[in-house]
Parts: sequence; structure tokens; C-alpha cells
Amino acid sequence: MPVYTSEALILRTYKLGEADRIVVFLTRDRGKKRGVAKGARRARSKFIGALEPMTCGGVAYYEREQRDLVRINYIEPSRSPLSAIGGSADLLGHVGYFAELIDEWAQEAHADERLYRLGSSMTDAIAQGAPVERLARYFEYWILRLQGVYPAIAGCPGCGEVFEHGAVMPPRDDVFLCRTCAPPAGGSALGSEALQFLKSCGAIAPDRLGSLPLGTRAAREIETVHRRLLNLHLDKELRSTRVLREMRK
Amino acid sequence: MSRPDPLTRLIEQLQRLPGIGAKGAQRLAFHVLKTPREDVERLVDALREVKDRVTYCSTCSNITETDPCFYCTDDSRDHRMICVVEEPENVTAVEKTRDFKGLYHVLMGALSPLHGVGPDDLKIKGLLERVGKGGVEEVILATNPNVEGEATAIYLAKLLKPLGVRVTRIAMGVPVGSDLEYADEVTMHKAMEGRREV
Repeated sequence: MPVYTSEALILRTYKLGEADRIVVFLTRDRGKKRGVAKGARRARSKFIGALEPMTCGGVAYYEREQRDLVRINYIEPSRSPLSAIGGSADLLGHVGYFAELIDEWAQEAHADERLYRLGSSMTDAIAQGAPVERLARYFEYWILRLQGVYPAIAGCPGCGEVFEHGAVMPPRDDVFLCRTCAPPAGGSALGSEALQFLKSCGAIAPDRLGSLPLGTRAAREIETVHRRLLNLHLDKELRSTRVLREMRK
Repeated sequence: MSRPDPLTRLIEQLQRLPGIGAKGAQRLAFHVLKTPREDVERLVDALREVKDRVTYCSTCSNITETDPCFYCTDDSRDHRMICVVEEPENVTAVEKTRDFKGLYHVLMGALSPLHGVGPDDLKIKGLLERVGKGGVEEVILATNPNVEGEATAIYLAKLLKPLGVRVTRIAMGVPVGSDLEYADEVTMHKAMEGRREV
């Protein structure tokens, strides 16, 4: 039975039997894994505090041939979203949202270090109390970009004009067009502030998001566009999206 | 050899219970088959009785045989304090301390975006109504010390504070009888954050 050790990001857990948990985690070098954490639900378990979604840490696990589930030996948490200083309910609510999105896109046993690094940087940003709205839009931008499905934001693919005064995503399309090329009605518009924010997202780390301006209207515009892209590529609406909407009411 | 239908049905039903897989359900079904009839009838009666007689308190959502429950109708308890917990079994845990003499409110879960549990799925409206009626001075948020429990506590605090009530959160930190050497970073951080003067 080979033992593997790796850095990992906890995504979610399910109850198993009387005292165990199935843990879904994303390793830095071996992709997404599912494993059993024996006794994880006991009050004095060695896994206490280590299985919260978006917790980063070192993990050791045994892999057995012909078995889908690995056996987790230990998880040593190094960073946790629970360290959030003055965290809001919205910020902690987004922990589940980030974990669900990564879980949807991470592939089992297929290493994706960039996705791991994105998730891990989110944990750091949450722990430092980053502005949640900007963090969520940043995360969506990057996760879509890493999957290669983010439309170009530099210029219009129709006429080649550089976007300076905003762009529009037509109703049944997943590209940004300039206002001249876009159909006259419908579609989701992005103003110049929203576009500027997205362009900056490509160049800065999440811990510097606090310095980026993003007004409420621009944030809503980006959210609408990202929601459309996510629903289109995942072919469903995430459960956490509905909950976050309710929490915001 | 095919299995008799009633046995197959029993295995199917047992398999629907949490934590019971195919093998476990089969083991339990064969155990029931070997058990004397009167023991099985006692089990069936207990199952039926729990569904017939145990209900949820219309005030605090705790499990009870009478509505309102024992805690809500006990005049010797301090009606100015409400302890908010996630599940009915958490009430038993708090009661074990014998220190808390106030009332309870069971949310029937915690906010969990990952599992699709939102504010509308919890008994939050009932809590706000109880506090809104007046007479409550303190609400203790005793949700679990994890991401979901913490998010729920912060969310509730935001709704409760405007009602003019004192909102407190149970302490988090190292367990009694443990060794600091083995405490993880987050637990130690929370313990330091919640330190008190002696």
C-alpha cells in the first residue's frame, strides 16, 4: 500500500458510518481525491479542525489498488478560513461557494496545480478578511480562465475594436462584443469600470483586491455575466449560489 | 438462490437509514430474522411510538412529547436567556453542564451553501419572533465551531442586534484535559482570541 504525502485543499466532507467521514480534497500534485478519515466525527479526533472546506494543509494517505477511496492517515492544517479576522457571514458563506466551484471543476487523479494555487490563495485572502464581493468575482474570473472558457476582454471579436466604453454579452452567446456589433436588445452589459476591474484581476494577487475600485453596479454586472458563464459551462446552477442569494436578502 | 421478497424489502428499507450500507443492511435483516418475535415487536412498537408521540415544540423546535416542550413551560427557568443550537441533540449537550438555566431555540441545521441549506431552511423566523415579542435580554449562539456554525452565528447576530438584545457566542479553544503541544493553529488562535482575565 503506497503512502503519499502532499499539500492539499479540503473541498467537502460527507458523513460515513457512525464516526467516519469521506473527505474530498484537491492535492497539489495528484488531482482530486476522495478518502476516508476514520473516527473524524469523534470529539477528540485527530482530524478536528482540519476538515473544514478550503482548509489548506499537509495530507498523508494510502492508496489501494482497485479502490476509489484512499485512506487518510493525517491532515495537518496550515491555513484555515476559520482564522478570518472579523469575518462576515457572507465571507464564510462564500467558503462553501469557492469549495463547490473547485469541486465541480477539479478532476479526479488529474493534477492541476494552477487550480490548487488559486484555491489556496483564496484561503489566504479569506483568512485576511479580503472584501468578499471583489474576491468572489476575482475567483470566478480566474476559475473560468483556468478552464479556458473566459471570453476575451481586450477587444471585440466582431470588429477588432478595443473595449473602452464597455462590452455586451449577447443573450445566447458566451463572447463579449462591442456595443456596435452586439444585437440591439438583450444581453448582459459590462461597463468600463467592470471591464477595468476584470483586466486588473488578471494581473494582481487576491490579497491586493482591497485596493481595486469596484462599485455596486459594476459588481452586479460582473456577477450576472459570470453566473451566465458558470451555468452555461457547468450546465446547472450551483447549490451555494441560491443560499448566498438568500443570505444577501 | 433468490431471497424471499419480505427479506429483500427489509434490506432495502434498512439501507435507507443513515450510515447503513448494503452489507450492514443485510447483516441487520438476518439478525432480525433470527431474533425472537417478541423482541422484533418491541422494536416495531418503539419505531411506531416515536413517530406517533414525539413531535417538535412549536416555540423552540426542540423534540418533545408535549407541545410546548418541557423547557418552554418550566417557570423556574430564566426566560430572559435563549441558547440557540443547531440540532435537538445539542440541547442535551448543553443541559449536561447543569449551568445553563435559560431557554433553547433549535435551528434544525446550520447555514451550509455547500449542502444547499439557506436561511429559509432554518427556524430563524421563529427565533426572531420570540425575541421580537420582548422579555429576552440575551441570546447565546451555541452553533458548532466550524465554518457553517460560525457563518450561522454571524448571520444571526446581524439579525438579532437591531432588536436590542445582547448577543453572545460560546467560547472556542483548547479542550479541557488536552495538551497545548497538540493544539492546531486555528484552535490556538481562537483560544488566544477568547482569553479572559483571571
